[in-house]
Amino acid sequence: MTEMQLNIGMARPQQPPAPPSMGWRIPGLLLEVRQHAPIWFQTLVLLCGMATGLGLSFLILLAAGVPADGLVVEFKSIFSNTTNIASLLTQLAPLLIVGLSAAVAFRVQFWNIGIEGQMIFGSIAATFVAINDIGPEPLRLPLMMAAAAIGGMAWIIVPALLRIRFGVNEIISTLLLNYVAVNFLLHLLYGSWRDPKSSFPNSEQYTAAERLPQLGWESLTYALPLALVLTLFCWWLFSLSRFGFYTRIVQSNPKMALAMGLPVIAVTLGAALLSGALAGIAGFTISSGVEYRLTQSFFLGYGFSGILIAFLARNNMIGAILVSILVATFFIASQSLQVFYQVPGAIVQLIQAVIVISVAGFEFFNRFRLRLAR
Amino acid sequence: MTDFFINWVANIPGFAAPFALAALGLIVSEKSGVLTLGAEGYMLVGALSGVGAILLLGGYPMAALLIAAAVTSLFSLIFAVMTVTLRVNQVIASLAIIFLGQGLTSLIATRAGWLNVPIAGLGKLNVPGLSDLPVVGPILFQQDLVCYLLVPIFVGVVYVLNRTVIGLKLRAVGDGPDAADAAGVSVNLFRYGAVMAGAALVGLAGAYLSIGIAKLWVDGMSGGRGLIAIALVIFARWHPWRALAGAVLFGGIEALIPRVAAIGLQVPQYFVMMTPYLATLAVMVWASTRGRERAAFAMPQALGQPHTREERH
Repeated sequence: MTEMQLNIGMARPQQPPAPPSMGWRIPGLLLEVRQHAPIWFQTLVLLCGMATGLGLSFLILLAAGVPADGLVVEFKSIFSNTTNIASLLTQLAPLLIVGLSAAVAFRVQFWNIGIEGQMIFGSIAATFVAINDIGPEPLRLPLMMAAAAIGGMAWIIVPALLRIRFGVNEIISTLLLNYVAVNFLLHLLYGSWRDPKSSFPNSEQYTAAERLPQLGWESLTYALPLALVLTLFCWWLFSLSRFGFYTRIVQSNPKMALAMGLPVIAVTLGAALLSGALAGIAGFTISSGVEYRLTQSFFLGYGFSGILIAFLARNNMIGAILVSILVATFFIASQSLQVFYQVPGAIVQLIQAVIVISVAGFEFFNRFRLRLAR
Repeated sequence: MTDFFINWVANIPGFAAPFALAALGLIVSEKSGVLTLGAEGYMLVGALSGVGAILLLGGYPMAALLIAAAVTSLFSLIFAVMTVTLRVNQVIASLAIIFLGQGLTSLIATRAGWLNVPIAGLGKLNVPGLSDLPVVGPILFQQDLVCYLLVPIFVGVVYVLNRTVIGLKLRAVGDGPDAADAAGVSVNLFRYGAVMAGAALVGLAGAYLSIGIAKLWVDGMSGGRGLIAIALVIFARWHPWRALAGAVLFGGIEALIPRVAAIGLQVPQYFVMMTPYLATLAVMVWASTRGRERAAFAMPQALGQPHTREERH
């Protein structure tokens, strides 16, 4: 190491000392590290990032052939009548839960990118309960939900233990396990779980006792109240409980947490398991609240949306509600854009990626100050 | 049985080449200290721009491969600006690149009408005189140009990385950016260069998937190969030749999958399709159990850390 540095120095002995403006950059601008940015400034930066991201997305949609006035009509119509607001709120529930799932894991620096795989196993476990009519009918739904939570946890415990025991990078392992989960789902749906009535590659329909009941307003089900209760629970867990206090120490300084004798491994494992359980429940709310069967593609796009929600909400559980509403709007808008303008479904991912890039890019101003060099 | 074996081994280079090129590109990029997890996005961009170039030019697969590499390199400029200049968390930036690549390629392919359009693609190139040899002929001398160029490309990149001043500076930037900076090496310049050069190789890998193997574009056609390449880099501890060996191993597994079903073995197909991902996971566990200290030493020391002159680490 030292030898290498010496070599570099000796190769160019006549090099004058580096000038104060660092290497390769816009001349005349200096970069200063900010110690602290006030809250109003951080909010402003976040809003600027969002505005830039939305503006770029708007341009991309225009370039994709969606007329500007059509786009305006589209977004207006989402909030224009109760049916559309209800479908927005229906879309909100699973998005909010996956957002919580991502935020919970990110709170302990566990990069859970495998939310889709955990959703799949959550729904598989819930469908297993439904198909085999396990438990008396009044208890069927709670059993399905518990099964979904366990299914999600079962799918995250492997990468969690691999990281804790062997230091295997969880970003890669959780992502890889998504592909395994999809193949397992297809194995079931093209095999023993294929709908006997229609012989389509779906599971058979859930019976009335296996569906989330309606709230009585439009098409809304109990998925939304469930999502809000889970949000409150996560907020309590991470803001008020001892567990949450530990996670804050683990997040800010894992080495110090270990030195203090905090149960770092248990805290990490606990948060990872909770993340998996939430993802599983999110899968359950789609299967049991919207589609009433296990399908091939119910999970698509939720993994990245969860990450986006957690990222934009700064892992704040209450903030996740606001961001989820925004993301749900994209989902609903893209569904009708697909129908009317033949825009592919991946446009949601594209818009979300553009927003992440803009917001992350703007965070530069939170951490650095640009000064004019004299 | 020998026919089965020869046929299988002869197909390995084609399956191994995308893994090998992608892993090599990632090594170049990560040697400069930039954690690059967005290979999946790069591969998709490379694959689509390859197909697009062929459809627009009306042929010329070799030119299309080069165009794909160049386009991916330009695409990676977004990642370079985010991670090097704006110092965004490299995990977040990588994820954004993956999904940006998926969304952008899907949108462009649909809009341009490139989806599921068959193309002529890259043909096999038989070496005159040698391709008719028994056993060795079909395995070594009936491949396409990318497979023949694979080893020369590796030799070239390894030479630049290990035997030139540019390579030395690049590795210095990845191991000790503060020291390199103090010695007068421009950290940002080398990181931009490494990210873009690495992305060109990953894009080439993606273009080979569409032009060389599938000979058409399908949405999301890289199918996790970018992730497998990342795992290969960790498994190879950022060592190019070991990455090539790992790529051949994975190419072997992938080449085996369609052949097992073809000879009539009764195996559940979806479980067979899981094997590359499970094998990758197994390889990662195995790599981590074999002396974590050595792995930690082989890793570029500043991997994932943005460099700011005023900041203390």
